[in-house]
Amino acid sequence: MLYEYDALSCLKQPEAVVFPTTTADVVAVVKLAAREKLPLVPRGAGTGLSGGSVVSEGGIVLGFARMKKILEIDLENLRARVQPGVVNMDLTLAVSDHGLYFAPDPSSQKACTIGGNVAENAGGPHTLANGVTTNHVLGAEVVLPDGQVLRTGGKFWDRPGYDLTGFLVGSEGTLGIVTEVTVRLTRKAEAVKTLLAIFDRILDAPRTVAAITSRRVTPAALEMMDGFTLRAVEDAFHAGFPMDCAAILLLEVEGAREEVEEHADEMEAVCRENGAREVRRAKSAEERELLWRSRKSAFGALGRISPNYYVQDGVIPRTRLPEMLEFIEQVSSKYGLRIGNIFHAGDGNLHPLLMFDARDASQVERVKKAAADIMAKCVEMGGALTGEHGVGIEKRDLMPLIFSPDDLELMHKLKAVFNPSGTLNPGKVLPAGRVCGELRIEAGLGGIL
Amino acid sequence: MSAATEIAQVELAAIVGAARVVADPAACAAFAVDGQAPQCVVYPTSPDEVAAVLRCAAARDLAVIPCRNATKLGVGNPPRRYDVALSLKDLNRVWHYEPADLTITAEPGMKLGDFQHFVARDGLWLPLDPPGGARASLGGIVATNAAGPLRLAYGAPRDIVLGMKIATTEGKIVKTGGRVVKNVTGYDVGKLLIGSYGTLGVIVEISFKLFPLPPQRATFVIAAGTLGVARDLRQRILQSPLSPARMVLLDRCAAQQAGATAAEHTWTGPEIWLEVMGSARLIERCRRELGELAGPAGAYARGVDAASAENVWARATNFHPWVADAARSAVIVKATMPDSALEELVSRAEQEAEAESAEIAVFAQLGVGIVHLCILTQLGAPALLGLIQRLRASAEGLGGALIVEHCPPEIKQHIDVWGEAGDSLELMKKLKAVWDPQGILAPGRFLGRL
Repeated sequence: MLYEYDALSCLKQPEAVVFPTTTADVVAVVKLAAREKLPLVPRGAGTGLSGGSVVSEGGIVLGFARMKKILEIDLENLRARVQPGVVNMDLTLAVSDHGLYFAPDPSSQKACTIGGNVAENAGGPHTLANGVTTNHVLGAEVVLPDGQVLRTGGKFWDRPGYDLTGFLVGSEGTLGIVTEVTVRLTRKAEAVKTLLAIFDRILDAPRTVAAITSRRVTPAALEMMDGFTLRAVEDAFHAGFPMDCAAILLLEVEGAREEVEEHADEMEAVCRENGAREVRRAKSAEERELLWRSRKSAFGALGRISPNYYVQDGVIPRTRLPEMLEFIEQVSSKYGLRIGNIFHAGDGNLHPLLMFDARDASQVERVKKAAADIMAKCVEMGGALTGEHGVGIEKRDLMPLIFSPDDLELMHKLKAVFNPSGTLNPGKVLPAGRVCGELRIEAGLGGIL
Repeated sequence: MSAATEIAQVELAAIVGAARVVADPAACAAFAVDGQAPQCVVYPTSPDEVAAVLRCAAARDLAVIPCRNATKLGVGNPPRRYDVALSLKDLNRVWHYEPADLTITAEPGMKLGDFQHFVARDGLWLPLDPPGGARASLGGIVATNAAGPLRLAYGAPRDIVLGMKIATTEGKIVKTGGRVVKNVTGYDVGKLLIGSYGTLGVIVEISFKLFPLPPQRATFVIAAGTLGVARDLRQRILQSPLSPARMVLLDRCAAQQAGATAAEHTWTGPEIWLEVMGSARLIERCRRELGELAGPAGAYARGVDAASAENVWARATNFHPWVADAARSAVIVKATMPDSALEELVSRAEQEAEAESAEIAVFAQLGVGIVHLCILTQLGAPALLGLIQRLRASAEGLGGALIVEHCPPEIKQHIDVWGEAGDSLELMKKLKAVWDPQGILAPGRFLGRL
């Protein structure tokens, strides 16, 4: 049964999967679920990575595949009103001829939905300069668990009252079911330059990131891949990455043409000062596209060389990337696991990929421990448990690492204002008890455990 | 003063020290809100003291309004009751400043001017130009989500705050967000606090994202002549690659008040002021292309020297104080709406003002969808109320909303400064009850008189 999975796993079969086409349909299902006391799990494309749309206690899955209309595009005000099932990339394609795009660009953007982006407060490589989903959502129509339909925010800023829209974004479908979203559209920059910096010593790459951060230029994107990951990617995509290097940085600068050239030169100089052996520039839109396609498909490329992988999503202060990379190397040797490193380095968002074979119970155990060590290190460095994938089921029981019992109690109370019976997407975000528990990697593992 | 209040003052003195609880009427008068003065002003020096003060206030059922420099204290409905002014002036330290990470954690009482000075030595800034200007405090800016025209390029506090600590009426300190620039760990509780005008909890620590100071900046003014031309130019400038960091439309009265009418040109109609930040080559291009954009529209663009520009921006972003000085009875309203309707709203407002023979000053933030209208002429209460209601109806008719940000207390008896609360009010009441079950924080002041 397909709907037991997200990019992830299934814990319990749903009783039914419903595909509403209108808000009224959603209200009817919500009321039915309330009457029958059935859990409700909203779901976009199921590309999430923390178990946000995984069915944990049975119930009804609300699939938004048939609510995928773009309701309005307002060019002068740079706004669009969409149904939650609209695929992220489809919105960008719909406004592209007008020189516009929807800024959040998760790697899964060809499949993932705006509703899912709102639920998870999704990011992506280009959110470094442009901000994550919450910075681009101005309003929503939301169905509460009792069937009430509310409109929050709108097309313009500063509507009087509490920022309910801002609180809903990133709430992982536990507060209400979003049935319409008003988003901001962004104007494409006049010019863009994409640079590939190649390093022979792995630590030079994160040092370069720290050096760039303190410059006057904020790149539009600043990504890092280590040599191990790169070779897998190169085997899959033949993007022309050097097979012998220790790490690469993929940098992008955008803006007015006068500035982009200057900024690219400045970036290149910083890379060279910090040990880059070579800095290449994409010469055409095709070359740029290939570099980005390779980066956004890197997880899949690693899937080709390892039976299974588990991707982590921690955040640390950017200046501590070199230290973290060394730590991950220690973790790798300590547990005898290969770990590939793909980072949204510019904002300190780590995606270490732990390779393993799920058929080997000892490897699975070691992956759990290694991932937990990396999480603990993120917390110790003053970082966060998740930068863009969400808490979901996966990290729910780690929340006490970051939040005090008082903080969590407040979140429980705020949740209860929206979702008093707890039937809406149960078992996500907040831990059930106060004790710090384990990372639930099975929620992040495609149903293989 | 009631006996209960006197007991409470003793308890408050036990928390912050006797010298930090001031009941002197003159001192209290400085914290008056809509004509109501508190019975005492409390000056805590640490987040823990703030929490303890709130717990004490809750136990004694004292109404508290948090405050620093009072730059935005006038915004809101009249308080239902008001006992204690909670001054955050002594929470003004910086924690965890990491210039290389472009992050900082500071206390709410720090003034924006001091803060900017502090981070400027590392070539950084907080790109906000809120009402209150340099005197606005970090806590006040965040509690009111105060932004100015720079929002066009950089967003508002809701986009720049990374995390906060908040003292609650239970006497606890809770945390939201963190110190890293990307974070989806748990609910985004901070969003509820940002723009809550002190009605949920008291912000005692804030982490911000910092930005590099632009290498160069240049201000240009375009004499648009008419609102129609201004609208056309707004669209064309925003669609061009010139990407101004901020852009405002001023009418004659606003331009005069801001000192923006330069001697070398005579007033010909609405002016667009814009500032571009970036390299010398970009600025040179702006100079060229703005002229090319303006010329065919019959408008006239020119550069403005740095000193005059600075003065105009300071006054045009922080007009509340001098408007209030210019006319004690002045009324300032803020209309928010889709950008496309800005010029239409300005046009209607001018007609409405003319019908009342009232002088208004117009400050419109282009690309942001916000217009401030300052009614400078003293009108009788019925005429003024009628004018405000018609302006509100205009804004709502154009798909927007209107807030009265500044007006004499007697006018507030007859209107809700926030406008209609809408169908989210029940939910907002429940959220308020989670934070402040007794309703001691700025009671009655927020939307729906929460």
